[in-house]
Amino acid sequence: MKGETAEKVFLWAGAAGMALFCLGPFLYMFAVSLSRRPDLIGAGGFTLANYAAVLGTPSLHFTDYLLNSLAVSALSAVITVLLASLAAYAITRLEMKGKAAVLFFVLAVSMFPQVSLIGYLFQLMSGLGLINTYAALVAPYVAWILPLSLWILVSYFAQIPRELDRAALIDGCSPLQALFKVILPVALPGVLSTALLCFIFAFNEFIFALILTTDHAARTIPVGIAMFQGLHGEIPWGNIMAASAMTTAPIMALTAVFQRHIVQGLTRGAVKG
Amino acid sequence: MDQRGGVVTGGREAYYFTAPLLLFVFAFIVFPIAGTLFSSFFSDVTFLGRKFVFLANYAHAFSDPGFRQAFGFTLAFIAAAVPLELALGTAFAVILDQALPLRGFWRACVLVPWAIPSAVSARVWELIYNYSYGLANFLALRSGLTAEPVNWTGSAAGAFTALLAADVWKTAPFVALIVLAGLQAVPAELKAQARVDRATTLQVFRLVTLPLLKPVLTVALLFRTIDTLRIFDVVYVLTGGGPGGSTTSVSLYAYKYFAGGDFGYGSAVSMLLFLVSFGLSWLYVRLSRFGGEL
Repeated sequence: MKGETAEKVFLWAGAAGMALFCLGPFLYMFAVSLSRRPDLIGAGGFTLANYAAVLGTPSLHFTDYLLNSLAVSALSAVITVLLASLAAYAITRLEMKGKAAVLFFVLAVSMFPQVSLIGYLFQLMSGLGLINTYAALVAPYVAWILPLSLWILVSYFAQIPRELDRAALIDGCSPLQALFKVILPVALPGVLSTALLCFIFAFNEFIFALILTTDHAARTIPVGIAMFQGLHGEIPWGNIMAASAMTTAPIMALTAVFQRHIVQGLTRGAVKG
Repeated sequence: MDQRGGVVTGGREAYYFTAPLLLFVFAFIVFPIAGTLFSSFFSDVTFLGRKFVFLANYAHAFSDPGFRQAFGFTLAFIAAAVPLELALGTAFAVILDQALPLRGFWRACVLVPWAIPSAVSARVWELIYNYSYGLANFLALRSGLTAEPVNWTGSAAGAFTALLAADVWKTAPFVALIVLAGLQAVPAELKAQARVDRATTLQVFRLVTLPLLKPVLTVALLFRTIDTLRIFDVVYVLTGGGPGGSTTSVSLYAYKYFAGGDFGYGSAVSMLLFLVSFGLSWLYVRLSRFGGEL
């Protein structure tokens, strides 16, 4: 029995250490963002001055970057899930040669280094006059996150009993109607967690946004925060941490609320079989 | 060919349904790769015009000390980071697998570093490693580990360590989730039987669980290696590749040429990275037995 108590203590200590390791940098970020000076945390009481400065200085474009990120990520997630659903339906339900080839192919493609695309993408988007527009980001984002969402959706769709959509087809539905009226509603939780994952992936993307945008018309928040240097030389750490806090807080809330779905989606995409 | 003739029901639709996905993947991934390969055979610097040089860019890369340094850093970083990520991720997974109260809370904790953009968390790490008032030096001085503040991003060893901590922090959670899925697939009876045979927890883990985790750990190892090979965001923000180019990854090295308008050489460097990555991806696809039950 003694060994069991020791094990319990050890386990709780491990869990606490894990939480501190994972959340520590964020606690520090929030603490600095609420302090008057980055070197004296909490000295002279906490303040929202950094938040007010970031939101109240139009030339920092914080809200522009954040809105760009939200719009680009949401657009990318919706288009990706739509296209991936179509393909996942074909792979799980229809007769087709080379299903496995399609899956393997997109899996391999998703592992390519982004840097081997950016030179061409930059020249392509410049040629089309799309540099610094949402379209320049959404198109490669969709291509980039499609493989993962295809894998996840295939694993969700494969679990739905075939009788369900077969009945719809016999009743005279087209495959497209069967997908939208039967499969998607039944797989809705899976579809939503896939969309959420796509959103997070697009929201986190950095290198495409770095090379394909030039200013606040389309620049996303990761690039905006990476380039945040302040107006007067000295790095305004308090402001940067406030901007980071306002960016991470919504994502943290989403993660906390949907953690079960995220874990399920991620593990389905990564370790199936 | 039968499907095209409509002999098999839904044959034609299957292609229509898959076409949009393939169109995007070809237009924005496969075609750009081909374009990069094409560019890599040219001397192509903005305002200087284009000239076919065939393999000269590649020949230059092999003798370029900057490229060698970037390649060496990337390999050294993989060798240091990936084993740490696997060890820490497995430890997290074991903790998450226990029936602790507040299960959702622990899981959410682990998800957060993964879910936040690297470029954003890298700025937090940048402040943590700040020479005069960062948390790292505060803790190092307070605990008596060092008498002098450490110049984290200004020294080669310090910058490497700083990147290592930031990267492992960000990616160990992903490993934890994969390993957790593997752990939950280990039959409980096996562990219970080992318990009956009076094995300690550590013995159960080493002798029963770990061998069963081998396929999952192999997948995680390969996936993390491929992903670390293309490391960019955290390096760009935290060290900018410095000091003296000592932490410049291959991706960052190629990016700097693209950003400077040298598309020919940037393309050659990124094609070399692509080739290594492609070989590993092929191995990954082969090893992970995906799609077996379709």
